[in-house]
Parts: sequence; structure tokens; C-alpha cells
Amino acid sequence: MAKTIAIVEDDPAIRANYADAFRRQGYDVVTFANRPEALAAFKVRLPNLAVIDIGLGDEPEGGFELCRALRGMSARLPILFLSARDSDFDIVSGLRLGADDYLTKDISLPHLLARIAALFRRVEALSEGPPEEEILERGPLRLDAKRFTVAWAGRPVELTLTEFWMVHTLAKFPGHVKDRDQLMRDAQLVVDEGTITSHIKRIRRKFQAVDGGFDQIDTVYGMGYRWKADGVET
Amino acid sequence: MALKLSLRVKLALVSLVLLVLPWAGYRYVVEMERFLLGSQEQALLATAKAVATALHERPRLMRLSAPLRAPQPPPEPSPAVEAGASDLAAATEAEKPAPVETAVPIAVEIGHASEHGNGDKDLAELLRGAQRSQARLWVVNRELKILAVAGSLKPATAEAASPLRRALSWLIQPPAVDFDDAFDEDVLANGREVTAALLGAGASRVRNTADGRAVIVSAAYPIWAGDNVVGAVVAEETTNPILTVRNEALERLLVLTLTVFAAVAVVLLGFASRLSGRIRRLRDEAEGAIDASGRIGRLLTASKAGDEIGDLSRSFSTVLTRLAQHHTYLESLASRLSHELRTPVAVVRSSLENLRMEGVGEAAGVYVDRAEDGLNRLSRILSRMAEATRLEASLVTQERESYDLVRVVGDCVEGYRLAYPGQAFVLESAASPLKIGGSPDLIAQLLDKLVANAVDFSETGAPVRIEVAATAEGVRLCVANRGPRLPADMAGKLFESMVSVRPAAAGGEPHLGLGLYVARLIAEFHGGGIRAENLPAGDGVAIVVTLPYSP
Repeated sequence: MAKTIAIVEDDPAIRANYADAFRRQGYDVVTFANRPEALAAFKVRLPNLAVIDIGLGDEPEGGFELCRALRGMSARLPILFLSARDSDFDIVSGLRLGADDYLTKDISLPHLLARIAALFRRVEALSEGPPEEEILERGPLRLDAKRFTVAWAGRPVELTLTEFWMVHTLAKFPGHVKDRDQLMRDAQLVVDEGTITSHIKRIRRKFQAVDGGFDQIDTVYGMGYRWKADGVET
Repeated sequence: MALKLSLRVKLALVSLVLLVLPWAGYRYVVEMERFLLGSQEQALLATAKAVATALHERPRLMRLSAPLRAPQPPPEPSPAVEAGASDLAAATEAEKPAPVETAVPIAVEIGHASEHGNGDKDLAELLRGAQRSQARLWVVNRELKILAVAGSLKPATAEAASPLRRALSWLIQPPAVDFDDAFDEDVLANGREVTAALLGAGASRVRNTADGRAVIVSAAYPIWAGDNVVGAVVAEETTNPILTVRNEALERLLVLTLTVFAAVAVVLLGFASRLSGRIRRLRDEAEGAIDASGRIGRLLTASKAGDEIGDLSRSFSTVLTRLAQHHTYLESLASRLSHELRTPVAVVRSSLENLRMEGVGEAAGVYVDRAEDGLNRLSRILSRMAEATRLEASLVTQERESYDLVRVVGDCVEGYRLAYPGQAFVLESAASPLKIGGSPDLIAQLLDKLVANAVDFSETGAPVRIEVAATAEGVRLCVANRGPRLPADMAGKLFESMVSVRPAAAGGEPHLGLGLYVARLIAEFHGGGIRAENLPAGDGVAIVVTLPYSP
């Protein structure tokens, strides 16, 4: 059965373009132009994934409210923000409301489709019990590249897909410096360099919430970031 | 050079107009003095007339008066020739009691005169009856011989001067007490009043004493015997009583006007201070509202005062508010524009990508590629336009930490050597650590901007120099490159938003003039400053950032 993706976006051209691209990949697509319309439809039937814009018509924060309502209906429904707004404030607000990822409209369609496929994989992996795993272990860090889960010293760390890919890139080759371009490429992210710094900060904070002494991600100024090699404490 | 006077000084000068008050008072006192002098003359004349009336028709008295040697006041070497005149009180000295002591020297004189005959004695007694203190009465006959004299011009006791009067004595001359009261021949011979009296008419005269230290008023009246004038009575008095009254008036006037002047000056000064204080405060606020780079910071608090300064303050406040609104509008224009343009760009991008997925022919694919290239450039411009605004927003919440600048710069330069393989870098760094407070990520961003700039402007083959030095004021971070000098008119504007001195390059990376603006924002976040200068040799440019040490 084809999965249903709901697009809530007030610009008709973007809405139609995304819908076409998703359909071409074999997804069922439902589109809504505003919040009440979308909410009414979601009450009847939940989609398998929701792509939401923040500003919806005359509701500048409509997407946030919709996300909150949607998260209230389903705890595991993948929600993706796709917005023209790229301030740290908006990103933090969106993720705090329980969205799985926050993307800006600069993202290319292939990247967006990869994201959506990954999100679906994560949901499936979580629901289907013990499946095949693709585990990356670096000391206390345990990454599952199939289910997109991260654990530090046995305790789960909640990362968005973007953050997951950044950690994955860094931890894959400990001690190697990954510059911003590499991180952006690996995280399939099109953002400007300033937001990479905020992403790294958020990742550090999430790990620190689990382990206050976390200091594994090293900033190499002017170059990028690296995952500290085991036993090499610089 | 124009004289710069503060409002306070000006008001103080204006208050000098008040000095016209003591002047007017002085004029009044002078008028009063003249009036008093007139009445003194009248009174003396009346006295002389009264004494003369007693001597009318008594030729015996006059005849008996053998020529008398003029009495000589003991200290005076020059003999007073003659004149008989008895003191007579002026109207003004009524309050002064005629002291008994004055009678003593007079009595001697009279006694001296009385040796010459009964007539003299009678005359002397007569004069004694009429005498008053500080006045002198003479009787002269037609030959200007003194027949009798009574009284003295000098006060019996010197009045003790009050401290105030002593203090003011340099300004207000106290009446002289020890003047020369002798009289010489001229007094009689040339005395208009005596001459007039001997011609049969009462007259008065004001003259100086021989030593010029006092002024004497004298009045003479004829003594008649039948139709003939047989002599004259001369009454003399100093103007000292008038001077005393005048001086007292002047003193009171002086004290009063000084008090009033001081009070008014204090009030005016206070008023001026308050006024200029308010204006200064307004000026400081107005100046403080716009910082050196022309940004509107703190707004003016509109004064509630109802006067013109309050008005000025309110209109300043309004103007600044409007200016700030306009400024905010302009500053947010870039980010708003970039935000607004994102959606149409997304439409174009998703359409192109859909087009590619639908499958376009080889020939048409070229155009899709070009369209995507252009779109990517547009995207970069848009994100750069928003960069400064995003940075400004993030600076507000940015956490500060203390970190070693030398390490951060060292790391960065290593990175630049990789990032710009064709460019040489020279790093001159002070010994680690140099601790500054702020955000290492931001300093790296600042250095990125400065180095990107320096590399772009650098002559081929010349290295870009990066210096970190510790100075007394703080850390000096300098990025210098050989290349064209700064345009003279741009020196101050380089660090403003959307100002660029680069020549427009066709098809190259877009330059919006935000790089140095971002660098400035970061330097200011660290509590430091940034400036551009030409190298001393004139063959390049250095951007110098000064950062304070972490506390």
C-alpha cells in the first residue's frame, strides 16, 4: 500500500511541484493550503508523513500550531518542516514542538526525497521489531544507520535526521576533520555555513543532556569539526 | 576666533544690568546731598542773621571791639587773621547734642577776647549764647577785624567707626576729622559772603579748608547800625554732618544693592544652570542616540516640561523615533527581501527539478543546467543578504566564554592554507595564551571574512600577513595584504552594511558588502573595534581589530 504524504503549504506552485515529485516516487499525496483544512482532514485520517510550512496564509505561525496538534494525535507520525524561514529561533521552535526535521526551501527535490525515504525507514525499523542493523560504535557512542537511532553509553539521544547524519559523518572517521562543505553534503543539507555552527551546538547540547561531561566533538577553527579519536584527548 | 560663551556666562553678563541700580541710588544720594547742602547754607544764614539781629544798633559793642589779634588755634602755625564768627548748628546736626566740653576752648578764646574790653565781653557772651557744636561764629567789623569768635569746627569726640564702615572706607571716604580749620586772610578778604555782608546783604559760600580735607560752608550777615553796616556775623560749619548722612545712605545703598545683586545673581545663575543643564542633557542624549557609525541606539526620552526645551526634546524624540523606524526598515530590507524571494526561488527550483525528472532531451538539458546555475547563485545571494541580520539576532543570545585567541587564529590559518592553496600566509603570533572573552566561533567567522577579503585584494604571489599581538589596551589582530590602497572617501564606510569597494565582476561571486559589516558586528560583540588602514609603505591595506582581554 502506498504511503500517504500530506503537504500543507500555502503557495500553490510549490505545493503542486512537491506533490508531483512525491507522486512520481509512488507516494499518495494529499495537499492543503491552510491549517483548518488540514486539521479537519487529519482528524478523519492521518497521513503517513506530513510536510508542513510554517507560515500558512494569514497565520504566520500556523505550521507550528498544526505540528503541535498533529503531535497530539500521533506520537510517531514523522513531521517535517519545510519553510523559507531559516532563523535559529524558528528552527529551535519547530524542533521543540516535536518535528522530526526542519528543512529550508533551498533544499533540492532529490535531497528532500532522500529525507522522506529515510524518515519512513526509521518509522518502519522502529515498528518492525529487531530488524537488520547497521551499527557504528565509537566508544560509548552507538549509531544505527538503518533505524537512525543514537545512543551514548547505552542511553538514547534524540537527534533529528540532519543531526544524525552530521554525527554519523563525524564519527565514521574519528580524528578526521570534516569541513562544513563535507558536513553539508553528508547531511544532505543546503544551509549556509552559519547554521552548521548552530547544528553542532545543538548536537553537543543533546549529548550533554545525557552525559554532562560530553566533549567528543572538537571544533577546529577555520576548518571544521572532528570526532575525537579514542584515547586522544586534545 | 569667535568668542564661545556659555549660556550661564551670558546670563551673568546680562545680570550686570542690575548694576544700574546702585548707580541710580548713588545719583539720588548726590541729589540729596545737594539739597542738604542748600538747607545747611540757609540754616547758617539764618543763624548769622539771628546773631546779627542781636547786634543791630549796638555800635558800642562794635566800637569797643578793639582790633583783636586773630585767635590762633594752638597747633596751627599760620595765624588766622581775624574774623568773628560763631558756630551755629546746621539744621542737619540737630540730633547732635551740644557737648559741654566744646565750651571750654571757646571760653578761652572768648576770655582772651574779653580782656580787651567790656564790649568784647558782651559780644563774647552774646556769641556764647548762640554757639553750637561743630560750628563757629565770628563777628568782624568793617575793617575785616575779628571782634569775637566762638565755637569750633571740629567735633569734640571722634566717633568710633563701625567695622563695616572701616571696611568700606576705601570706597566711601569718611568725613575728615583733623582738617585744618585755620583761616587765612583770604577767607575774609576774598570771602564773597563777608564782602556781600559788609555791603549789606546776607550771603553764603562753600569753600575748601586750606588743606583741602574738608568743606566749609559759611554764611555772613550784616550788622546794622542805623543805615550803616558796622560789621558782619559769619557762621561757619563743615559739611561733615551732611557727609555723615550721605555716607550712611551710601553704605545702606551699597549693602542693600549688594544683597539684592547677590540674591538676583544666585537666582539667575541657578536658573541658567538648570537651563543649560537641561540643554546639555538634551544634547548628550541626542548625540548618544546615534553612535559613531550612524546607527540609532538608545532613543531620547521625551521631556514632559512645557517650555521650549521640553518642546525641543519632544520633537527630537519624535524625529529620532521616525529615523529609527526608517533605519530599521532599511536594515531589515535585505533580510525581508531575501525571505520574500525564497518562495519564488523555491518554485523555480522545484519546477526545474521536476522538469529534469520528467526527462528532458540532451539539448534542452543544457538550458536546465544553466537555469540551475543561475538559481544557485541567486540562492547564495539571498542567504548572504540574510546573514548579517541572522548574525545580529544570534548575537543577542550568544553565550560568552573566555578562550585563547592565539589557538583559534592558529587553527584558522592552518585551515586557510588548505582552503586557499594558491595563496601564501604569514602568521606572526604572540605567545599563547591570550585570553579574550566572547565566542571563538564568531572570531573564526570574523577571520574568515577578513582573510577572504585580503586574499581577493592581494597581489599575486604576495603573502597575506596575519598578526596577533598583545598590547596594553588589548589584543591586536591584524590582517594585511599587499594590493591597492583604500579609496580615501571610503575609509569610514567600509564597515557599514551593503558597502563594497570591489569592482563589479561579471559572473563572479556576488559581493554585497556585508563581509566587513559582519566582521564589525563580531568585533563589537567582543567589546572591541575594527578599522582599516593603508600599510605604512602605501602598498597595501591592513584591517586591524582590537579586542579587550577577558576580565
